[in-house]
Amino acid sequence: MIELHALTCNYNEKVILQDMTLSIPSHVSILGANGSGKSTLAKTICNMITYHGKIIVDGKDIQTYTGKEKAKKIAYIPTKLDFYDEFLTLEEFVLLGRFSHKKNFFDYSFYDKQIAQEQMESLNIIHLKKHTLSSLSSGETALALMAQALTQESEIIIFDEPTANLDPKNSKIIAQHIKKLKQTHQTVVITHDIHFARFLDNHVLFLQEKKALYFKDDFFTDTTLSKLYGVAFSSLDVCYE
Amino acid sequence: MNKKIFWGFFITVALFSPFIGAVSLHVNNLIDFSSLDAQIFYDIRLPRVVYAFFAGSLLGITGLVFQTLFRNALMTPYTLGISSGATLGAGIAIKLGLSTLLFGIAAVSLFGFLGAVFTIFLLITLSRFLKSSQQVSLLLLGIALSLFYSSALMVVFYLGNSIQNDMLLRFTMGSLSVIGWENPLLLAIVSFFTTVIIYAYRFELQLLGVSKESAELQGLNSKKITLILLLVSSLGIAILVSISGPIGFVGLVVPHMVTKLYPTTIQNRILKTSLFGGFFLLFCDTLTRAVPTQSELPIGIITALIGGPFFIYLIIKGK
Repeated sequence: MIELHALTCNYNEKVILQDMTLSIPSHVSILGANGSGKSTLAKTICNMITYHGKIIVDGKDIQTYTGKEKAKKIAYIPTKLDFYDEFLTLEEFVLLGRFSHKKNFFDYSFYDKQIAQEQMESLNIIHLKKHTLSSLSSGETALALMAQALTQESEIIIFDEPTANLDPKNSKIIAQHIKKLKQTHQTVVITHDIHFARFLDNHVLFLQEKKALYFKDDFFTDTTLSKLYGVAFSSLDVCYE
Repeated sequence: MNKKIFWGFFITVALFSPFIGAVSLHVNNLIDFSSLDAQIFYDIRLPRVVYAFFAGSLLGITGLVFQTLFRNALMTPYTLGISSGATLGAGIAIKLGLSTLLFGIAAVSLFGFLGAVFTIFLLITLSRFLKSSQQVSLLLLGIALSLFYSSALMVVFYLGNSIQNDMLLRFTMGSLSVIGWENPLLLAIVSFFTTVIIYAYRFELQLLGVSKESAELQGLNSKKITLILLLVSSLGIAILVSISGPIGFVGLVVPHMVTKLYPTTIQNRILKTSLFGGFFLLFCDTLTRAVPTQSELPIGIITALIGGPFFIYLIIKGK
């Protein structure tokens, strides 16, 4: 359960979200035009951007969580993985998901390593475990990020445009994994892909003009979409002609 | 294979190192503790070997930490002006004629230490004003500080008499010559604890190796850890520079060499860098003693002669 109270966010001195109050009880897909503040909202919920107002996650102000408590509560998966260490292998990367569970100054336990292995197995990337992150394809990287988030065992997972860089086949793989995760986690999925969002079958949060519109159903119709995005839709696809 | 040759070579050099120098020693005399040979061996050569090893170890590992935290291979305490700060501090002490002890510490060392510490806090304060592309700006800050300190040091030179200037010149070139065991033991302790602390934070460093954002998301307080590691490293360097003067390029070259030998993540390179740095500087120091010159070559010159071209290579290679 994520609750926002009078949330206002500035990014580069521009107001992105203004006085937003809403609660996200369960799975949600966040849609909206470019620059409407989808990623800003997601990062704000993870307490990575300064904001005014209040963010309550499971009844507790996000500011009062310690870093590790927060990591056990929320995992955030970026669209693109930036990393500095060119030698980091997939196995090492996934294991970092256990950092918040690990005791300070102690090595990752056997149990931690086992969870990392299991997640790589379940996502079918175990054969890549000795490969460096820099050698992975976009599809493999997306799975690596997911494996790390699952290893983190947080209750909420936020996906920031998970299918943006992927080919149709990999998009499908990722989409199916995310849908399956709805049974075990609260998922928040930012996307531009209408068909993907419909497949996930979540409530929809549409960001527009610094505000959020909440749709329980009736989002996936051509008339609604045309009105929201300001372009004509037919069968949930943009009419290019 | 490569690795074994490197380590084998280093260990051989380390073993022969105490026997190399202006005075050649006879092994037979070393058992007779009253002989001159034994005195040179036990009071000058051995302490120096120990000192050089731990100095190199400290330089290597702090270089690695700086490079990792700032994500830039050119970031070391030396390039950021911390060593220059120490040099200026020491220069001022020499100019003021403070050759006596203050609180049991040589005034030159104390001033050098203060110069380094002052620079650290100046850098931390100034870096708060930096926004994006922070690392490049910070590097530029360090370079600007270094240039400023160098000019200030020139003023000190200009005002000094020839004896003071000779002392100062020696200091700026860096020297590993020590007499007795006091400094080697001090540095061994400093170097040991710096390594232990950095090693204790190896998982945090590993996490920071992905990105700051990612580390924060995993629950790491990256600001706190960065500050702790920078302070620990800088203080270690401050102590070293206050005794020996600036020894450049070791912190730059050593981590890179270790990375070439062991292409793995930082977690697995910390102790290796520490060891490698020690042996590397000991090797350089042995060179200064092996080259027959009127007076000994300052260590800073050898490391700069090796490090300068390497620095250019790094810039051209763009990493």
